[in-house]
Amino acid sequence: MDVRRSFRTNWVLPVAAVLAVLAAGYAVLAGGWWWSASTNDSVAFSRERDEVLRVGQVGIANFTTLDYKRVDEDLKRWLDSSTGELRSEIENGRDSRKKQIEDAKTTTVSRVLDAAVTELDSRAGKAHLIAVVETTVTPEGGQAVKKVNRYQTDLARTDAGWKLSALGPVAAGGA
Amino acid sequence: MPPSRRRPVPTTPTTRPRVAGLRKRPAPAAPELDAQATPVEDSRADGASVNGSSTQDIRAERLGTEDEQVEDAGGARGRGKRSRVQDAQAERSRADEQADEESAEADRADAASAKAAGLIEPGEGVVEDDVPEPAPRPRPTGRRKRTGEAVAPSVLDDQRHKPGETDWAARYRASTTGKSSVHEPARSGLGLPIALFVLAGLLVGLGVWFQNQASGVRYNKALVDSAGTTEVAGQAREAVEKAFSYDFTDVSATEQAADELLVGKAKCQYNAIFDPVRKLAPEQKLVVTVKAVSSGVTSLDGDRATVLLFLDQVTTRTTDNQSGGGIAMMRVGAQKVDGRWRVDNMEMFGQTGDQAGQTAKC
Repeated sequence: MDVRRSFRTNWVLPVAAVLAVLAAGYAVLAGGWWWSASTNDSVAFSRERDEVLRVGQVGIANFTTLDYKRVDEDLKRWLDSSTGELRSEIENGRDSRKKQIEDAKTTTVSRVLDAAVTELDSRAGKAHLIAVVETTVTPEGGQAVKKVNRYQTDLARTDAGWKLSALGPVAAGGA
Repeated sequence: MPPSRRRPVPTTPTTRPRVAGLRKRPAPAAPELDAQATPVEDSRADGASVNGSSTQDIRAERLGTEDEQVEDAGGARGRGKRSRVQDAQAERSRADEQADEESAEADRADAASAKAAGLIEPGEGVVEDDVPEPAPRPRPTGRRKRTGEAVAPSVLDDQRHKPGETDWAARYRASTTGKSSVHEPARSGLGLPIALFVLAGLLVGLGVWFQNQASGVRYNKALVDSAGTTEVAGQAREAVEKAFSYDFTDVSATEQAADELLVGKAKCQYNAIFDPVRKLAPEQKLVVTVKAVSSGVTSLDGDRATVLLFLDQVTTRTTDNQSGGGIAMMRVGAQKVDGRWRVDNMEMFGQTGDQAGQTAKC
């Protein structure tokens, strides 16, 4: 009787220890799977695409939103979210554009209804994006008019993140 | 765990009861312990070390160092030395208790054990510990007896003299039999394996969770899977172009395309959007050409995808060769069925009120 009992206790401990070790090994392995699954290149690329999408949407909304009473503010925002050609274009045409907007006396508010990144070159830091934009134009003292337009934009990666490098409507017949 | 309990046990006699009580907690064990409890410290300590389980060793050491005599009386006895005769007795008494506690035999046995215990351990501690036990009825008598009646010194002596072998056996038994005598050694002996089993269970659970997370790591594969992205974009374009292009000389091509490439809700949406054209077309001999000028996949996950399409539409009225154009933006939901992407949802941006109302009904 005693022997049997002692035998029982004697194997329980090793078995428990082995099980615990095996379980620990499995947990470590599974943790590794999870880690590699969530940190691979594809996931990183997917994140970058999402970032491009976000920046593109915000940028397009910025560029299609302006208030003739706050032109300077709007133009500064344009400059902040652009780079390259688009930026120099804005800088060069700043004064004429400002006058144009102030003369028109309209308030334009836009929101992006949908957008898609169509190209993304992560290494080169270039991307292309298309967006559907709903624009509400309100002339001073007039009725608001809503329009849905389609835009396309190029983005480039800078030291300060992604910025818009080109922007324009997608006219009938292509770009 | 065992150490903490023992620590509180000081050399002073008052503490003794606790120690004894702890060991005695299990109901059936109590009688055994009492009856057999012979305190030979030396033998105990030896036995413990021999056993080799760390917990037992510790115990033995402590007992030896702290208050040998007291310890022996209280805790050591149970484990350590029981003469076979005593063991037999104890077993009997145990059995009696379990089977029929009220029987006279049980009483006797209890009484005997009580006596033995009484000398060594003061009643108070024992009683308290015993109270929580599962089978309270039989014990009360036993306790009273134990506490009330002093154990004859002769009993103690006898047990002390007994050889070390019996100590071993008793200890093993004590440690192995969880129920009957849950001494500290027994607890520690099973405690570690149980802790390890629990740990193993937790780790397995953790691993399963990790694995789930790993397989559940889903991300939008638009552009990431470039082949898949190109495929779904191309087939979505094709489906929309074919379904919305119309040539009055070949109506069946349009109908067939719509039938094949559109599924579910998209069929209803298609009818809402395209019905006006279908009504006018034969009469005006229309040729409608829809071309996707730009497309972007917004989401791609397995056999589901969404695509944003920029469409150009050119309509030619062949009766007078007048043509006009228009643009449209459409979000398309696609589902891969039998190896081909089929459109199952269509949303037009910038629809007129009428059309929007129609498609909203789908």
